[in-house]
Amino acid sequence: MAERAGGAELQQLLSRVALGDRAAFRRLYDVTAPSLFGVALRIVRQRERAEEVLQDAFVNAWHRASGYQAALSQPMTWLTAIVRNRALDELRSGARHSADSLEDETSGTTVDIEETKPGPLGLLEQAADTLAIRDCLDAIDGPQRQCLALAYYQGYSHSEVAGHIGSPIGSVKVWLRRGLDKLKRCLDRLA
Amino acid sequence: MKYDHPELLDRLAAEYVLGTMSGRVRRRFQAIQRASPAAQRAVQDWERRLSPLAQSVPPQTPPPAAWEAIERRTGGGAAEKSASGWLMWLKPALGVAFGVVATLGLVRLYPDAMVPVDEIVQARSKLPESYVGLLTDASNNPVVLASSTRHGKTMSVKILRKVEVPAGKVLQLWALPKAGAAFPLGVVPGEGKGSFEMADTSEKLLSAVPRLALSVEDAPARAGAVPAPFVLTGNCVKLW
Repeated sequence: MAERAGGAELQQLLSRVALGDRAAFRRLYDVTAPSLFGVALRIVRQRERAEEVLQDAFVNAWHRASGYQAALSQPMTWLTAIVRNRALDELRSGARHSADSLEDETSGTTVDIEETKPGPLGLLEQAADTLAIRDCLDAIDGPQRQCLALAYYQGYSHSEVAGHIGSPIGSVKVWLRRGLDKLKRCLDRLA
Repeated sequence: MKYDHPELLDRLAAEYVLGTMSGRVRRRFQAIQRASPAAQRAVQDWERRLSPLAQSVPPQTPPPAAWEAIERRTGGGAAEKSASGWLMWLKPALGVAFGVVATLGLVRLYPDAMVPVDEIVQARSKLPESYVGLLTDASNNPVVLASSTRHGKTMSVKILRKVEVPAGKVLQLWALPKAGAAFPLGVVPGEGKGSFEMADTSEKLLSAVPRLALSVEDAPARAGAVPAPFVLTGNCVKLW
């Protein structure tokens, strides 16, 4: 992904964007938009809404680039956070489609059912392998791992995760908290 | 609930970044973040931990219309946006700087002829490291230029277009940090030039401030005051 391909380039592009450099802004978009659009699409589950999220995120990045601090976050971390936050806000604001519509092929709307492959757990395991944090993931129990993946990649709320895996919301909250605790300890140790 | 408890903030930040909060709770925690640097840090820590996980999501090509809309919304293409607008303004300044550098070359070539100006040219051969803000009105006209050297406390302002100040009111300049509430910088005149001393150096006050704004107030604002509606806003950038 873009960050690994050229984190230094992204950093340079962002500093030029902060000065209002439109060519740099275009290049930043070309390099990062496909990854970010993929992330947004997973969460909001509709092309039109994902497109709105992407637009808002880049408009936001254009205005906030001068506040970007390289010392605090990698460029792709910064951009991903802007996109995910916007996507989650969008998802929670309208709730035009319930999480179930993912599986509902007859709803007649633009639900992108094909976008859900690979599944969230597959994505989490793939990311763990790429980031060499497999040990961190293996330390997390199965249900905790599944809850984390559903929440992170699909943007499921506590109650949606509970509904999806058929467990009480109380258990889901506990699992998520334990899963996050383990992940934090492991990642901070590696950092 | 006490939101300044580190463990509680950490837990809320984790849920916020993971994305499991309901809309109502999300909005409430966003409000907390705006007011609490500790909450912002906790969120940043979790973004640092979790954002890399997003890289396994297969990329999707956005439709061409997405970029066109972004360009339009950021004032690209035909219409100039304030950020690029102020760069247009900066070009002559940089041109002067380059001219000075060229002159310096001449001075080196013909030292005898130009000795008297040598010192002046030397001193001006480089624009100082500064923070520069350009506030524009709703039509994108530049109205107030504010600048301060990086480690200085004096903010110099030049009013490019006269601003009407109602009798008994003042024009208050505000810093709009990337995160957190706006804070007052000082009072500026409605026309001509002016300057004021800031509470600290530009570097301390403005390094995380991407925007400046101007409001009309009854009296100079104190720290912690809530600004009246902004009449002008603009980008604040580092000139180095």
